[in-house]
Amino acid sequence: MKRRDFIKKSALATAGAFAAPYLLPSGRLFAATGMRKVNHVVFCLYAGGVRNLESVHMNDGNLMTNIFNGGASISPDIAGGMEALPVSPLSSRLQNFGTLFKEFRYSSGPTGHYNGHTVALTGNYVDVDLNIREHPSKPTIFEYYRKHNSPQQSAMNSWWIANTLGPYPALNYSNASGYGALYGANFIAPTSLISPQGFDVLGNPRNFSSNEEAISKNMRQFVNGMFNHSYADGSAGVINTEADSALLQQFISTLFSNAQNASWLNSWGAGLSVMNNDMYNILFAEEVIRTFKPELLVVNMQDVDICHFNYTGYANNLRKADFAVAQLWKTIQSTPGMADDTVLIIAPEHGRNFQSNTSVDAFGRSALDHTAPNDPNFNGDPSLQMAREIFCLIVGPPSVVHQGQVINSVMGESTEIVPAIADLLGFESVISGRFGLKPWSTCDLQAAFV
Amino acid sequence: MKKVLLILTLTCLFFSCNTEKEVEYEVDPVSVTQGGGNKNNQKSTTEFISIAYADLFGTEISQARLVNLSIAYSSFGDLRVIEDRIIRNFLNDSTAIIPSTPSVNGDTILFINNSYKKFFNREATEFEKYQWLSMIRSSTVAGPLTVYYSLMTSDEYRFY
Repeated sequence: MKRRDFIKKSALATAGAFAAPYLLPSGRLFAATGMRKVNHVVFCLYAGGVRNLESVHMNDGNLMTNIFNGGASISPDIAGGMEALPVSPLSSRLQNFGTLFKEFRYSSGPTGHYNGHTVALTGNYVDVDLNIREHPSKPTIFEYYRKHNSPQQSAMNSWWIANTLGPYPALNYSNASGYGALYGANFIAPTSLISPQGFDVLGNPRNFSSNEEAISKNMRQFVNGMFNHSYADGSAGVINTEADSALLQQFISTLFSNAQNASWLNSWGAGLSVMNNDMYNILFAEEVIRTFKPELLVVNMQDVDICHFNYTGYANNLRKADFAVAQLWKTIQSTPGMADDTVLIIAPEHGRNFQSNTSVDAFGRSALDHTAPNDPNFNGDPSLQMAREIFCLIVGPPSVVHQGQVINSVMGESTEIVPAIADLLGFESVISGRFGLKPWSTCDLQAAFV
Repeated sequence: MKKVLLILTLTCLFFSCNTEKEVEYEVDPVSVTQGGGNKNNQKSTTEFISIAYADLFGTEISQARLVNLSIAYSSFGDLRVIEDRIIRNFLNDSTAIIPSTPSVNGDTILFINNSYKKFFNREATEFEKYQWLSMIRSSTVAGPLTVYYSLMTSDEYRFY
């Protein structure tokens, strides 16, 4: 080969090596994305239906003193129904560490819990009745994250932690073509799994020696090799690697062990009689954070939904959820690898009605449902749409999130959270505008970021 | 006389000549299938738990325990992790009916065949028996627990 030909071909090969990643089809090796703003995002669905009148507008005093500034004392008629909680674990209230959108909106679709969760996790409003036994039809943020990062992320980096069963397990992945369980999140409902009933059936597994594990693995590989179907092809859910599965088994054992330790259960010092399901769900989420330091974690709380029949209980649970979120941020900021490199997004899935229902609690307060009209052309009494009024708080490092900013105007909506997470983790441009997503460039939530 | 002999000879020659038979060699049709090849239906959660319990304990699972197991199943997204843990929990139960080690080291082929019938509802093929014998004989830790664990956590056990 002549020298000129050699140089020419080498240059072409080098140019190709640089250009090739961007020329590959959608399963590209390198996502053509922007830079990540942070390496971890935690999305806390402060769910169950939180009305702005009780949260940001503090009609009954400041029920969320760990999150919101304001010193208004709790209304005297319900103060007796509030359980004592420890002092805040934070040096300052959470809104001082980020941007608060006071008039965020859940703009469309039925104001139901599962609808709201689906909207928050898929970035798409669902205007039809959902089949709660099916996975969503549009990809979830978990699938976008796992598929469109380079290298593709394992399920150990992506967690969905739900406070209850029912339809919520199905939100860890969708039925969308090209996505699905292969890119789903690791899901756990810890208060259902780590329970006396769970311990009865899972708490005492046979522990094999390493040699026994090895021979068992050989035996199983042989048997599987002789069979023409794979369980993974069916409905095995999210699949972890063998090594990750071993870590998960160890993690479950650790959780069972922790749950038998009263001092661990009372880590926050709130008292076992005060800890509710929401608080335990966050407590277990903290263990996931400390153990796996996931890049994407979504956790919810829903105990405020007691408001359907007990308003004072709703106010009390608002306070407990508020305390739990503060503990969550404290854990994030004290976990090496996540501290100062995490954005925490807090938002309800929807609000509650302005008008009460007929239930009256022991403190004389009337209860509230969440049934905003679902007519897109509705132009009646605006108060009927109060269940669509929510807040959204973005908390994060000062280099990423505007600190202490409060936006009082109607700005932002639930479908912007998925694009926001995608932008933070550096893959929004790959999914922008696809699958019905709102392009990040058109999202009001941009106002939160530096 | 010579004429008679000639006629007789010609007659014998005539009847002794036969057309050459065409011999065809072919293979008789033989059905060749995988041992578990007819299993295309995946067990549901309830079926898997109920059958695993019955296979190990020789009795029907109680409704309360079935409910607890179903809740545990639904509480974690990687079903293989939970199923593995369920099987390990069953195997660690002192009331589980598990053969003793001598029955494995004695008539190993019988043990394997019985295990296949128990879990897979079929007999092991000759190749499978050969391989199992080799695996068990070559390991000092292979025993009834490891064999049962391997079979119950295999893909075939998930199908019927």
